[in-house]
Amino acid sequence: MTQQMLAEYFPILVFLGIAAAIASAMVGGAMLVARQKPNPEKLSAYECGFEPFDDTRRRFDVRFYLVAILFIIFDLEVAFLFPWAVALGEIGWFGFLSMMGFLGVLTVGFVYEWRKGALDWE
Amino acid sequence: MPAMGMTTAMGDTTEMMAVGLGHYLTVSAILLTLGVLGIFLNRKNVIVILMSVELILLSVTLNLVAFSATLGDLTGQVFAMLILTVAAAEAAIGLAIVVIYFRNRGTIEVEEISTLKG
Amino acid sequence: MLNWTLALPEIVLGVSGLFILLGGVIPKKESFFPVSMAVIGALILAAVLVLGQGEGTAFLGQYVADNFSRFAKVLILLGAALGLLLALDFNEKAGLGRFEYPVLMLFATLGMMVMVSANDLMSLYIGLELLSLSLYVIAAFDRDNPRSAEAGLKYFVLGALASGLLLYGASLVYGFAGTTNFDRLADALSGDDVGTGVVVGLVFVLAGLAFKVSAVPFHMWTPDVYEGAPTPVTAFFATAPKVAAIALLMHVLIGPFGDLSAQWMQVIWVCSAGSMILGAFAAIGQRNIKRLMAYSSIGHVGYALMGLAVANDTGYRGVLVYMAIYVVMNLGTFAVLIAMRRRGRALEQVEDLAGLGKTDPAMALWMAVFMFSMAGIPPLAGFFGKLYVFLAAVQGGFWTLAVIGIVTSVIASYYYLRIVKVMYFDAAPDGALDARPASLTVVMASTGLLTLLFFLFPAALIGAAQVAVASLAG
Repeated sequence: MTQQMLAEYFPILVFLGIAAAIASAMVGGAMLVARQKPNPEKLSAYECGFEPFDDTRRRFDVRFYLVAILFIIFDLEVAFLFPWAVALGEIGWFGFLSMMGFLGVLTVGFVYEWRKGALDWE
Repeated sequence: MPAMGMTTAMGDTTEMMAVGLGHYLTVSAILLTLGVLGIFLNRKNVIVILMSVELILLSVTLNLVAFSATLGDLTGQVFAMLILTVAAAEAAIGLAIVVIYFRNRGTIEVEEISTLKG
Repeated sequence: MLNWTLALPEIVLGVSGLFILLGGVIPKKESFFPVSMAVIGALILAAVLVLGQGEGTAFLGQYVADNFSRFAKVLILLGAALGLLLALDFNEKAGLGRFEYPVLMLFATLGMMVMVSANDLMSLYIGLELLSLSLYVIAAFDRDNPRSAEAGLKYFVLGALASGLLLYGASLVYGFAGTTNFDRLADALSGDDVGTGVVVGLVFVLAGLAFKVSAVPFHMWTPDVYEGAPTPVTAFFATAPKVAAIALLMHVLIGPFGDLSAQWMQVIWVCSAGSMILGAFAAIGQRNIKRLMAYSSIGHVGYALMGLAVANDTGYRGVLVYMAIYVVMNLGTFAVLIAMRRRGRALEQVEDLAGLGKTDPAMALWMAVFMFSMAGIPPLAGFFGKLYVFLAAVQGGFWTLAVIGIVTSVIASYYYLRIVKVMYFDAAPDGALDARPASLTVVMASTGLLTLLFFLFPAALIGAAQVAVASLAG
């Protein structure tokens, strides 16, 4: 049984092997074949670029957080729409009205966050 | 660990399937354990606790879907869908509470959460 | 079979909640008071509908309405309405007069009603989460106060863990019994040969529910959350959700898992004994009165669970009677705690009650009634609550549990009576408390009279509990 299970995963192993081989060929080939002339200028910002003026790991504005929180809720509730849409022919008016009720509840939530100003950036 | 015992018990009956119910239950039990340990052993950051909670819910979802497939019964998948959406609401509320806490205390380190005790 | 009219109380409450939310958010100015009044109106309307509700199952077996759910729902709606009344004045003074508070309480109450009417693991989960999510937010409602934020955070983390454990148990039960419906589960689990998987699932479900009722191995969140949350929120936590969680526990254990009672009785036994002991000892040293009430509520849950551990109709009836009396006593006590305010500042220490017997004799009298009742001194209501569970335990042969109960209630009466002593025999440190608003007086007097005069008409409550239990077991 273990044999059979491992056999099913064999393509993934092959895939991993090929990926590793190609990646190491690229990096290793560049190191072996290319001419190496180290120069500090090569590491500086390129032509019209500029010196970084801040740490890249600075904090995000907390307002992104709010948008993300609102997004999670409205995004995932859509998960119910897919099975509903597929089965709409079988569940009839009752199914249709149930989803309208559900969307109505979501709309109330949306009106709430809108009026509360959660969607305004400033 | 009940699910560990299941591995061998189910392995015999589901010879045809490469990955049997027992395997799913084992993975799910491991995920649950990791989630619970993540909540209790974590000394650093509240966000890690939120992630552990999600891990627990994920283990449940996996369990339900695996059972649903084995039993040939759709209830488990409906349940899994409900858990997904409720988990999203839970995560949103958790993050909101963490933000409130951070505004008050300026830190989200677990060790610092000790104003209330006695 | 849909039978959606059976769920009319919940539907009406939910729809009116949505409209109240819109009505609160659309006008520009803050509307805490009118929204609160609308919510109280909706709760009363729902209670009336519950009383007129039919019996049967609805939504393809997801929902059940019977005498048991009716008993629990009336109690929950009463607790929630009075709990909101307690918050009116306090929230205005504490700067918490935002209309979201009553709306959240309404949705928490809706969650509780779905919970006690759940006839399927799925509707149970949805109800429980609607309750829990509202409570997480409401615990952190005083968002500029670090203690409230911390209470919310702790409650969220541990509550989410408990939901997770409960769900894991539910998934195992589903997998090994093949269904999530309570009636079909009861059939599937009726034989002698019940698999280990189901028992493990049951233990996980029990752990999750024990957390929600704050029974002993899972009580650690209670003192912190009770202390940190604003006092009206604590009052709400200690009353309606506790009834809902106990009712849910009873419904789950007696319904689908009724034939596994040999397994769960031991677990409930341990939870009950542990809660009573912890409630009695841990509260002794507390100076913060909200923290003291947290340990007191853990102890009371222990007494209520004693009736469940007995696992017969007398015991179940005892649990229902106990919870009804507990809600009334606790609402009254918290009305007094919320009225503790001197020169505009809310007070939380036991010593702050000193001299109340002279400065405000009426409030001191009510507080004394509640404290004597919690200690279980006859002829107050609390005595009868304890009497019925102790009787059930003794008749069922649970002598050890009954003895633990009696010893712990003697020990617990020490800290209840200490509060009475502080009120009547200690000198007032600095002047009288502020004048209390009429809403608190109403709650205090009504619950106080119920507690005081219960012995004159016990038959009404006990009869209702009897009918409720009959529909549960039958």
